[in-house]
Amino acid sequence: MSLAETLLPVAVLLPLGVATLLLALAHWLPPRLPKLVAILVALAVCAFCVLLARASLDGPVRHWFGGWTPDAAGRPGVVLGIGFQADPASAALAAFCGLLFAAAFVFAWGYFDTEHAHFHVLMLLFLAAMTGFCLTRDLFNLFVWFELMSVAAFALTAYPLGRSALEGAFNFTITNALASFLLLAGTGLLYARTGTFDFATMGAALARTGADPVLIAGFVLVAAALLTKAAILPFHLWLADAHAVAPSPVSVIFSGAMVSLALFGLAKLVAQVFPGNAEVMGLVHGLLHGLGLATALVAGLTAFAQRHLKRLLAFSTIAHMGIMLTALADGSGTATAGLLLYILGHGLTKGALFMAAGILLALRRSADEIVLYGRGRGLWAPALATGLGGLLLGGLPLGLMHGATGLMDLSAGVLDRVVVALASALTGAAVLRAAARIFLRASGVPGPELLAPTEREHEKPDRPLWLMALPALTLVALALVPPAAVRPFLGAAAARLRDPSLPPLALPEAGSLDLAPLLLTAVLFAFALLRRRAVRPLSRAVTRSERTGFRALQALHSGLVGDYVAWMAVGLALFALAAAVSAG
Amino acid sequence: MTLLPWLVAAWLFAVGLYGLVTSRHYVHLVGCLTVCQSATYVLLLGIGYVHEAGPPVFYDHPPGTPAVDPVVQALVLTDIVVGAAVTALLLAIAIQVQRRRGTLDPQALRPLRPPPSAAE
Repeated sequence: MSLAETLLPVAVLLPLGVATLLLALAHWLPPRLPKLVAILVALAVCAFCVLLARASLDGPVRHWFGGWTPDAAGRPGVVLGIGFQADPASAALAAFCGLLFAAAFVFAWGYFDTEHAHFHVLMLLFLAAMTGFCLTRDLFNLFVWFELMSVAAFALTAYPLGRSALEGAFNFTITNALASFLLLAGTGLLYARTGTFDFATMGAALARTGADPVLIAGFVLVAAALLTKAAILPFHLWLADAHAVAPSPVSVIFSGAMVSLALFGLAKLVAQVFPGNAEVMGLVHGLLHGLGLATALVAGLTAFAQRHLKRLLAFSTIAHMGIMLTALADGSGTATAGLLLYILGHGLTKGALFMAAGILLALRRSADEIVLYGRGRGLWAPALATGLGGLLLGGLPLGLMHGATGLMDLSAGVLDRVVVALASALTGAAVLRAAARIFLRASGVPGPELLAPTEREHEKPDRPLWLMALPALTLVALALVPPAAVRPFLGAAAARLRDPSLPPLALPEAGSLDLAPLLLTAVLFAFALLRRRAVRPLSRAVTRSERTGFRALQALHSGLVGDYVAWMAVGLALFALAAAVSAG
Repeated sequence: MTLLPWLVAAWLFAVGLYGLVTSRHYVHLVGCLTVCQSATYVLLLGIGYVHEAGPPVFYDHPPGTPAVDPVVQALVLTDIVVGAAVTALLLAIAIQVQRRRGTLDPQALRPLRPPPSAAE
């Protein structure tokens, strides 16, 4: 084994080990030390995974735990060991998680009562689970990291022990625990037919077996679980509750990395395990594509009708997950490259936006754009982060997200492009509208957002503004990196996600400048700014019907965990129906 | 393998889901979640079952005798541990909710929505 192969588990063991040490020693350590150690560990994970990504460009880096290589069982086709495998895409995403955690740790400096460092222990556990999720090549091991990620996330959501935080965490825990049962059941069904958990061996076995209802059921269960984590319609209802009530530094990780990581896991499974099964690929190209479009539209509209900044950002995350799912369902090489780049660009942008919301919660004691009307003047740093973030979401032709959309558009149909432009514009305009209200004191009368749920809350303001603004502005600056800088790496990453032996994909130069989403954003933003009170009968009728529509959307997100579970069951039934139709 | 374990698993899962959807008490809800979880245990053990085979312990009989699949049993064991952690966390949250709000009815508890009495 080469040095990189021997050291591969360090990416997981380092945060895991430091978390245990901190938990054991927190009583005796000076209170500042755990914070510093957490930042350093996150940066170390990031640096190590960058090195892994570079090393894996020459071929995948594999590590079999305990020396249980596929040959160890002495029987061909029987893989008893559990393996880690770093391909360029997985290692790069793990590095991105490390970076985002480092930024969140800096942002959270002084936020929490760190006497026992519980926050930092949980966050490091969370980081270890995410890197493990990225690097594993074993389906059951993937389930274990999925669970570890969930448990850390549940505890972090409930961490402030506020009223909404507890209830949001409860809904989050129930829905995601149910998702993990589905994942386990699906894993079991796939094992029943293939006799292995290893991605590559499973893929080879699946290509041999052909059509089989048990395999399709296994895929449906696994996909439903990962789509619940990735907040895709109709499994998405928990997300707005959890992201809006979690502490801001945690929301940064949730929206920036956790949900998109679930989608990446699904992309990896579809590319490595299922390409040999025609029925499953039919489901991916058909149903998942449709779900992605529906998610983008519905969540985009709902985001536009929110007034609580973190809830608005949460719905915008759901909309962008829908956009990413269309790229996943497309499955071509350029679309996969677009998906990977979009995960990075969206994560950086959304992280910065949640940090800006956190700054407002700390310094202005609210995250409600109507309550905060004009109260953000003088806070130029969060204003800059929010404005740039809104523009980036809305399709500003600069930076990683625009490059990603360009790649996705290469193989997208007209309908896809229209929906993607509309969803981006809705979320971008919503963020810009909130920014204009809070920082510029400029807006028309509130539209349907007046009816949206909100809450009085605040976060601890005991740290200087620059310390909170620095990570936010750094993330926005990184999101503005020209996509050409990562293109060669991206080509290799997209190709090797599917098969480690494929040559790097030659990605085209940046295509034509697509200004349609940005124009649409400007139109919607202007509409929000110029809105006047409805006086004439016609405009009153329009307003009334608009409110009825948005009220129905709000009613869907009822906050009742029973409703959420019912919608998950509907989603499962939808999958079963689609599978039956495609098979029969 | 007979159809029975599959049917039992599906039935348990459906019953648990019904309970989750209609529950009016957080602790009851957690119980329903556990019922859903046991459905996956039944499914996994059913998958690994081999007719007329012994336990996968080769202490007192030679290797090579038919045995049920130990891999799925390891999965079930792992999941029981994780399930216990999740249940404990949920019950801890339920205690905190009861302390702060004095009720455990999901209808009265909705994140980000002020209760009717406190509405401004």
